[in-house]
Amino acid sequence: MDSTISLALFRNVENAKEVRQNVMNGTFEAALLKPSMICDPFQVIVAANRAIHLNRQNKMITKNVHSEILFCLSPTKNISDSFRKFGLADNETSVMVVVADDIDGSTMSAICKCVKGELSDAQDVIHLTETKLIQKIYKIPDEELVVSKLLDSIVSRISSKDVLTL
Amino acid sequence: MEDESRNSIATMPVLMKQGAEAKLYKSTFYGKPCIIKERFTKCYRHPSLDKSLTAHRIKSEVRALLRCRMNGICTPTVYFTNMENSSIYMEEIEDAQTVREYIQHVQANENSDTANNILKPLGVKVGEILGIMHSNNIVHGDLTTSNMLLRGNPAGLDVVIIDFGLSHFENFAEEKGVDLYVLERAILSTHPNTEDFFQTILDSYKKYNLKSSVEVVAKLDEVRLRGRKRTMVG
Ligand SMILES: Nc1ncnc2c1ncn2[C@@H]1O[C@H](COP(=O)(O)OP(=O)(O)OP(=O)(O)O)[C@@H](O)[C@H]1O
Ligand SMILES: [Mg+2]
Repeated sequence: MDSTISLALFRNVENAKEVRQNVMNGTFEAALLKPSMICDPFQVIVAANRAIHLNRQNKMITKNVHSEILFCLSPTKNISDSFRKFGLADNETSVMVVVADDIDGSTMSAICKCVKGELSDAQDVIHLTETKLIQKIYKIPDEELVVSKLLDSIVSRISSKDVLTL
Repeated sequence: MEDESRNSIATMPVLMKQGAEAKLYKSTFYGKPCIIKERFTKCYRHPSLDKSLTAHRIKSEVRALLRCRMNGICTPTVYFTNMENSSIYMEEIEDAQTVREYIQHVQANENSDTANNILKPLGVKVGEILGIMHSNNIVHGDLTTSNMLLRGNPAGLDVVIIDFGLSHFENFAEEKGVDLYVLERAILSTHPNTEDFFQTILDSYKKYNLKSSVEVVAKLDEVRLRGRKRTMVG
């Protein structure tokens, strides 16, 4: 029943491409996110919680729990579009790493060894957020933001994804 | 720093309220205060029918919560929906009372004229919210003063609408008229001397549902008449 979600933010990353390749070839299992698309670590937690749940129910759309986290983060049902918008690109200099069920922490420490960059507080992602772009991608109207924090608007969409036809 | 967040969905949910269709628990969701609304099965309903009805209610609720928010109406943020155990995990609206509790409190402490005056701005606000909901074709389905929360200082008129399990999305004046009728019956039967309060809601509603309020109010009158006939016969 219990399950963990580990997050880490790296800035001034020099080897995004290499880190990504290590995930692609299975050296470690993790989701690598674009920090510009994240407004708060809680956004990632909500998506990861949903991915873990779908994994347990054998109801995932993508091939593993970490790709499912990327898919759950995205408002669209198009898998490659979700990966493109929310996944790390080779030319990027910061990355948010998410690992599900890293019980002994060995995956995260392997990642820490591989990434050439500064480990930062996950909360610092707010300095990298591209608010306007996020608002557009999640289709959040201005009048909504009068009564709702951006984070709450995003979270509502992530948690409603499978019951929505927007 | 590395941020380890334990899955706290399972951390001791405390039963808060046992309703007719759902149990409400207080808990936390990865550190945030949360309410778990778990719909339970009804033994007198056919199991598979029951399952699909429950799933339908959950979907209606989650959809309407988001649709309201998109139109500038405050609703709790949904954190997680678990169809397997028929639960919605949502933000707990903290420091809040139901509109029902607030009206009862005001009426217990003030004479009826003063109470009416104090409640007037709240009526205007509720009418505004319902007008916006209906002009966006969101029909609540169970409008009562228990399904409206008042957050913080009541003078702030920070109203949060909840309990959308019976909601639907449609553009029929009849449905909207019934929605208002249900509210009128709920208000008048729960709170004495609230005819003026309901009228305030209706007047404000008309301003915010310019598209269809004439038709809706005509339907409300029709439904009221039907209701009255029924009581005369019965
Ligand atoms: N998100 C929330 N934050 C704070 N309190 C809540 C929240 N959701 C529900 N409640 C409290 O629990 C009560 C019941 O919730 P709700 O109306 O959703 O369930 P219900 O089963 O329909 O109950 P009822 O039959 O009384 O209408 C509300 O009147 C309110 O006091
Ligand atoms: Mg209720």
